[in-house]
Amino acid sequence: MRELAPQVLGTLVRRHGQFDACEDAVQEALLAAALQWAEQGVPDEPRAWLMTVASRRLIDTWRSESARQRREETAAALELTSPAEPSAQDDTLALLFLCCHPSLSAPSQLALTLRAAGGLTTAEIARAFLVPEATMAQRISRAKQSIKTTGLPFELPPSTERADRLRVVLRVLYLVFNEGYTTSSGPALQRAALTTEAVRLARLLHQLTPGEGEVAGLLALLLLTDARRAARTEADGSLVPLAEQRRDLWDAAQIEEGIALITRTLGTAPVGPYQLQAAIAAVHDEAPSAKETDWPQILALYGVLERIAPGPVVTLNRAVAVAMVDGPRAGLALLGTLDTDDRMTHNHRLDAVRAHLLELAGDLPAAREAYLRAARMTASLPEQRYLALRGAQLG
Amino acid sequence: MKYMILMLGDQNTMMEVKSREWILEMIEFMGKVDSDLTESGELVDGQGLADPSQAKTVRIQDGIPVATDGPYAEAKESLAGYWLVDVEDEARAIEIASRVVDFTKEPIEVRQVMDAPPEV
Repeated sequence: MRELAPQVLGTLVRRHGQFDACEDAVQEALLAAALQWAEQGVPDEPRAWLMTVASRRLIDTWRSESARQRREETAAALELTSPAEPSAQDDTLALLFLCCHPSLSAPSQLALTLRAAGGLTTAEIARAFLVPEATMAQRISRAKQSIKTTGLPFELPPSTERADRLRVVLRVLYLVFNEGYTTSSGPALQRAALTTEAVRLARLLHQLTPGEGEVAGLLALLLLTDARRAARTEADGSLVPLAEQRRDLWDAAQIEEGIALITRTLGTAPVGPYQLQAAIAAVHDEAPSAKETDWPQILALYGVLERIAPGPVVTLNRAVAVAMVDGPRAGLALLGTLDTDDRMTHNHRLDAVRAHLLELAGDLPAAREAYLRAARMTASLPEQRYLALRGAQLG
Repeated sequence: MKYMILMLGDQNTMMEVKSREWILEMIEFMGKVDSDLTESGELVDGQGLADPSQAKTVRIQDGIPVATDGPYAEAKESLAGYWLVDVEDEARAIEIASRVVDFTKEPIEVRQVMDAPPEV
């Protein structure tokens, strides 16, 4: 049912504009469907059912708001339209672009994408982000208001903007995925739904844009990362680093799918950061054990990544690969180049990686200090605990 | 990102020293901050706390937990109230805090809540 949400919404917005009113109408139709279909079963034409109910809600809204003439025009337009829409795919894509418009704040982009494109309810999204439902409802309402006031069009971006706009959509999906990729207890169950949703939307986007290498790259990356989820946390929610994960808990089918996808994508489109990250994830995931990881290949891939999309985090990750290939001291030397990088000043990751490499190099007191420094700087509780524990073990 | 916006300062002194008009303005101001944050979809929670003189602090004395009257910190540095907000970045949290400080002239501590997910 949720797959139909963006299709129905896209169609309505294409016809009538008024994204905010249409989005509300589709939400109500989804809620009505959830109730009715549970009792009476799914109708033969679920999409047509949703279209009809959403359209009726729209008419009701306009009837109570606007002048007689407008109401009649709109009602007539709705009646004339046939349920089958040839441009449904374009509509869903336009919807994704709209929800991820750069003028919206990141939290708004995420919330709106999950609701309008994902079909999640406000309550579900609120629970996933651990805020009250009213807060999330207001956030979504403001985002839609912003779209209306700015007059953002419901259409695919012009080809000159497309690459940039697509990058934003990919980033939103990546952020949604990351939000969900967390512990296995309590409210985090709702957060795991975010991971699934991100993968689903990435798949959808890949279907809609089959020639885009970075979209395939993101999907592959998410699949290959999600495949490790069961091994990533213990039952009590504590983190297990990649090198120590039980690989028998990895999802082999998802790994196979991810590897196949990135393999056939590389070389067919200009290479980009998501493709490279997916390739790196593939090298990790295809190793039967941590010891058998092909680190030289990973190092080579980071080399390319650093050339096309340089940044301190890439350097950080490359330092780990350098350490695995040329020894920890070589990795630590590379980290030194980040010490003067402003972007790393309040970032716990530099000290976390340094601590790990110092530990590998056998300098335990320095490693312990670095773990504890990193523990004080991170804003993630599971990470803080992990770092503090590692530091304590060396004490 | 979630932040605690902690109002520090001594309510007692404030109530004694400030005029009636100021207090009424403050009540209105706080109400406005709450409704603005609600309207912007950033408010997660916000509460005023009882006067620090009403607090009790539980400490170990001779090996057992004992409660004594009074706050942990000096009354003038005690927690008077807080907002828990979900905002786009630290700059926004500071902006919110600044607005309050500008009115109350009392310090506010802005501290991030540890709800970031561990990185992929």
